[in-house]
Amino acid sequence: MRTLVSIVAMLVLLVACGSGEGTLTVYSGRSEELIGPLLDRFTAETGIEVEVRYGSSADLALVIDQEADRSPADVFISQSPGAVGFLAERDRLEPVDPSVLDMVDPQFHNTDGLWVGLSGRARVLVYNTELVDPAELPSSIFDLTDARYEGKVALAPANGSFQDFVTAMRELEGDDATLGWLEAMADNNSPEYANNSAIVEAVGRGEVPMGLVNHYYNFRAMAEDPSLASQNYYFPPGDVGGLVVVTAAGVVAGTDQADLARQFLEYMLSEPAQTFLTEETFEYPLAIGAQPREGLPPLADVGSLTYDFDRLGGGLERTKELIDASGLEGP
Amino acid sequence: MRRPRLVKAVAAVVGAGFLFPLAYLVYGTLTSVKSPWDIIAGPETLGPLGRSLTIAVTSGLGAAVVGTALAWLVARTDLPGRNVWRLAAALPLVIPSFVGAAALRAAFGPGALIEFIPRPQGFIGAWIALVALSYPYVYLPAVARFAAIPRSLEEAARLLGDSPRRVFWRVTLPQARGAIAAGTMLVVLYALSDFGAVSLMRYDTLTRAIFSSRLFSPSIAITLGLVLAVVALLAAGSERVLLQDSVAAGAVQPSSLLPLGRWRPWATGAVAAVAGVSLLTPIFVFAVWWLRGPLSGRQDLSTLWESVTELAEPAAGSAVAGSVAALAAVAVTLPVAYAAVRAPGPIISRIPTVVSSVFALPGLVVALALVFFAVRAPDLLFALYQTFPLLVLAYVLHFGAQSMRATAAAIETVNTSISEAAGTLGASPWRRFMTVELPLMRPGLLAGGGLVLLSVLKELPATLLLSPIGFETLATRIWNAAEDGFLAKVGGASLALIALSGLLTWLLVLRPGALRSQLED
Repeated sequence: MRTLVSIVAMLVLLVACGSGEGTLTVYSGRSEELIGPLLDRFTAETGIEVEVRYGSSADLALVIDQEADRSPADVFISQSPGAVGFLAERDRLEPVDPSVLDMVDPQFHNTDGLWVGLSGRARVLVYNTELVDPAELPSSIFDLTDARYEGKVALAPANGSFQDFVTAMRELEGDDATLGWLEAMADNNSPEYANNSAIVEAVGRGEVPMGLVNHYYNFRAMAEDPSLASQNYYFPPGDVGGLVVVTAAGVVAGTDQADLARQFLEYMLSEPAQTFLTEETFEYPLAIGAQPREGLPPLADVGSLTYDFDRLGGGLERTKELIDASGLEGP
Repeated sequence: MRRPRLVKAVAAVVGAGFLFPLAYLVYGTLTSVKSPWDIIAGPETLGPLGRSLTIAVTSGLGAAVVGTALAWLVARTDLPGRNVWRLAAALPLVIPSFVGAAALRAAFGPGALIEFIPRPQGFIGAWIALVALSYPYVYLPAVARFAAIPRSLEEAARLLGDSPRRVFWRVTLPQARGAIAAGTMLVVLYALSDFGAVSLMRYDTLTRAIFSSRLFSPSIAITLGLVLAVVALLAAGSERVLLQDSVAAGAVQPSSLLPLGRWRPWATGAVAAVAGVSLLTPIFVFAVWWLRGPLSGRQDLSTLWESVTELAEPAAGSAVAGSVAALAAVAVTLPVAYAAVRAPGPIISRIPTVVSSVFALPGLVVALALVFFAVRAPDLLFALYQTFPLLVLAYVLHFGAQSMRATAAAIETVNTSISEAAGTLGASPWRRFMTVELPLMRPGLLAGGGLVLLSVLKELPATLLLSPIGFETLATRIWNAAEDGFLAKVGGASLALIALSGLLTWLLVLRPGALRSQLED
């Protein structure tokens, strides 16, 4: 009986919550931990209600594609260029207002203006300070195929951020060089892990000396347990190993809240929001003039910035083929 | 034997509902840009397919042994502390496989909490994780069955001179065969559908191939989904041929407990070892993740209390979703099980196979199938999209196999002669069902509802994609925190999930059963 009452109560609640005029519906591939407080602030400052569905970027992109013109979503926030690229290719995104695009450097938005970057994630080599002498660290990601790194560099070939990085390497160095590097990494018995967190944990406890991951995982692990013996190594500027991958947002095609969507994206690139992103999540702010938090090397000193992110969205299938062909277990 | 036609009609309608995910996969495969045959015959399919079959069969066997042994020890012997084990043995089922596997990997191996045991990975790692987290599928129905075996049967065998061991193999075990087989098949299907454990242990199965290709090559993902569904149909269908049961049941009597004698310490040790791997290790790891910040003085102790209070709302969401879905699943699948057991026919007997196959699909596929059909529905039905009723429908479709199998096993134990006797005394079929058969099936129905409840508590993809916007469960909290490596929050929410499931399992599944047997004493 009590269950019945709660069902009825829930249904009433649902009807009562039906989206009103000033409500923006967001599908977010960024988890609540990383963006929830920011959305609350946006509502507090603008009075615009935001309803959020959290999920993995890939799953939400699949759902938006399937929902087509019936999608309840107005804005899609993606953890990686791959998922917004998927929707851009399938005409599921509307151009972002030019005033918003101008808030970031042109390299951080889609050339057709279909999505805009919100924050940046640098690829790094995380290493265990007790197992690795800094002098042994490579000067380029291509050094990692050397015999002295055999079995020492953890990879996450099934993970989206690794695939984005491989796609970037293809665009910058060509398919042959990329396949050669992947094969050499496989031949070098590079241990494979499910994702970035698993690698950072494994490096922290000394299971493997080094691993290729996004920069912020180690900052977060250290915030929980500063005794960890892991540290980030940034590849020298210009090396594709230090690629900066963007998290991005786009406006879902067919939205009836285009104006609210513009205000929302504007807010996400405003100074307080960008400061929140870098302070709370250790990522790089992308708005022109925003400063990265203490402890992060300046964006200009990190890896490869000259890369056109648009290409990261497409061509993932070829990336998968190369990774498959290389003998790495995965994607 | 005349049964109301209505039951068969309802069973057929329910069965048609369970065809939706299959229909979505068939449509997607036929309309895909790549030739399905090229994908199916390719090496990227055959390797993962073989590994999926291997892990499914071996996990089923492992869970059958562990689940049956635990159920028998708890229900039929003087195992010390059996009332605690009775509840504790059910709980590993609620641990989502991706955190359970992560906890096992964090617990063992060099640099981990317990260094002398190698870190689980690959096939062995995936197998240990899947057996440890899924044996309750066998345990719950088996313990209900063992408790319901009439004492008179075993006593008769003993009077005829059988040793206790012989009584077990000749009388006790065959009586529980239906329940054990039903549970084992659930484990097989669950292992086929699992993504969390196999991906963390790096064992490359079909589900891994589906997940890694879903975005950049949807045609491969959907064809592999269909392959998985066909495997599940074959597996579930084969069982129908293998299973011919004759079991007895009477009013539940206080079972006579077999004294373990000198085996008592060994049995206790074995039970403790299973609990150690499947429940205590994850709990310990979660506690370390949750507490290490505050205890080392880096975080204020008050943050602990905060981390508990912010779980109240998702815990309520979990409890409501789990209980409603459990009730709905039992109600929806009871006619299917009843018709299949009591009025088998060429179509009716195949409905359970269809219902079972959906359980072997990854939750993401079931969720996307519902999105696919909802978006193509008329406005009136589309209004239900991303509302609570649709979410419950997704749970029932995905987990209906669990309540159906436990229910069917329970129906098989009800001797039709009792009901027929009531019939000769003039009771209508409905009255006979309500007053004679339903009470006898009750332990099995509770076990089936309990399985669905525990599955919903850890469910992720449908909850994330189909729930009313803003609806949270403990499982979605755990996922949100785990996505970005916030282990303290993963630990706290996982402990809350285990505590909540313990409470709900006791309140809704175990206590009603216990009360009933007390009343009848």
